Amino acid sequence: MWNNVEFSFEAVWKVLLVGLVLGAGLPLIFALGIRSLAWGSGGDAEVHTAGTTGTRANPFGTVLGWFLFLVVLAGIALGITFIVASGFGKQLSFEHIFPTIVDKH
Amino acid sequence: MTESTVILILVIVTALGFDFTNGFHDTANAMATSIATGALRPKVAVALSGALNLVGAFLSVEVALTVTNAVVNLQTSNGTPKESLTADGGVALLLIILAGLVGGIVWNLLTWLLGLPSSSSHALFGGLIGATIAGLGWSGVNWNGNGTKLDGVVGKVILPAVLSPVVAGVVAAVGTWLIYRAVVGVAERYTNNGFRWGQIGSASLVSLAHGTNDAQKTMGVITLALLASGHWTSTSSIPFWVKVCCAVAIAAGTYLGGWRIIRTLGKGLVEISPPQGMAAESASAAVILASSHLGFALSTTHVATGSILGSGVGRPGAQVRWRVAGRMVSAWLITLPAAAVVGAIMWYLGDLIGGVAGAIVIFLLLLAAAGYMYLRSRRTPVSHENVNDEWDEVAPPEKVPAGAAG
Repeated sequence: MWNNVEFSFEAVWKVLLVGLVLGAGLPLIFALGIRSLAWGSGGDAEVHTAGTTGTRANPFGTVLGWFLFLVVLAGIALGITFIVASGFGKQLSFEHIFPTIVDKH
Repeated sequence: MTESTVILILVIVTALGFDFTNGFHDTANAMATSIATGALRPKVAVALSGALNLVGAFLSVEVALTVTNAVVNLQTSNGTPKESLTADGGVALLLIILAGLVGGIVWNLLTWLLGLPSSSSHALFGGLIGATIAGLGWSGVNWNGNGTKLDGVVGKVILPAVLSPVVAGVVAAVGTWLIYRAVVGVAERYTNNGFRWGQIGSASLVSLAHGTNDAQKTMGVITLALLASGHWTSTSSIPFWVKVCCAVAIAAGTYLGGWRIIRTLGKGLVEISPPQGMAAESASAAVILASSHLGFALSTTHVATGSILGSGVGRPGAQVRWRVAGRMVSAWLITLPAAAVVGAIMWYLGDLIGGVAGAIVIFLLLLAAAGYMYLRSRRTPVSHENVNDEWDEVAPPEKVPAGAAG
């Protein structure tokens, strides 16, 4: 019984850590992407005092926004690769920083 | 046809039936938030989720033969059934599996009728545990594993059920809080549109992961039945037709949509806005994937519920209906024992009557129970049309006597 409790806590803090990085980190990047796009298009996309036209459009915001979306997409692609790889008896290895697909041991 | 073949067919049909209930019971885990926020129309959401479950089921080629080993001792560690159970064409083992599956389905249907998102894995394991205790005694259950890794009822079922909703809830709460901080000053109409897309993406990931995780369990159970009755010999692969049937059953179930449960998860717990929905689904997807990578078996239902609660806690000013959450938690607590009781009763009944007749009787009882609960559900139908109605009926203004206010 206590062995199991110990093993659970060993696994659970890792799940929490990965969960926070991917499950809260990626949505944060996505939110920042939306913020950048709003900054990029200016005008009514941002909250401004009634009667004024709001900030002017800023192309840099648009570029940054789409870049951030790409980061999120890469994260999702990693997630799908992970599902598919583990289904085929492989796993993702982060040994070389870049994810690579290796055999499960 | 021999006795064992008839029972085998009943087992396969019942297992696919369980897989089907597993599908509609869990549609909500992935799609409740997207439906509640209007990111996807209800019918589109269940179609997308069903398709991804189908794909996911095929992606899981990892052999799931030893799935029952986590909780009961019916198989050896390489997946072959225990020899003591395979005499007479495996009738003894087939009856345990059949009774266990019936316990799982009955509990799944009852919680669906009540609109409670209980765990389908707990229902399946509970049914199997009950039928095993009835058939083989208490020693037939693998309570704690052998102490070298996470295993047994405690390690694979109870501890994950306690810990995973908490972890998912924390992740979702942090995510929600961060998102709201990040978009301060951006017009709400603008953000909601963006977050709807994020929601659809993250919900799709949850559906895919669900297909890979849950369809496997039924595949493992059916293959075990085939091994026991001598219709299959390999312990390193699963018959292709089993994979196809299970994938189709879970996808069809998902497409049917358990609207009662979708309604509870999407509208009952928290009034979900698109940013919260995205945070909740991302947290679910990340926690499910990270856990399966680390061999931490969990129920997608517990994770999804924890995430949605967390997204309510993380949004400043949001209201969480703790009373609804409390009902859910009590359903979680009794899922395993309740399914076990049904599984055990079914086994005793099947054993008492004996042979094919016993198996047929418990199968008919299952059909009767399922039919009854379906008819009951028609009294207060929940469908894709009213799934998003307001949770609280508009209460008539209370008559407060003058002076009593305060």
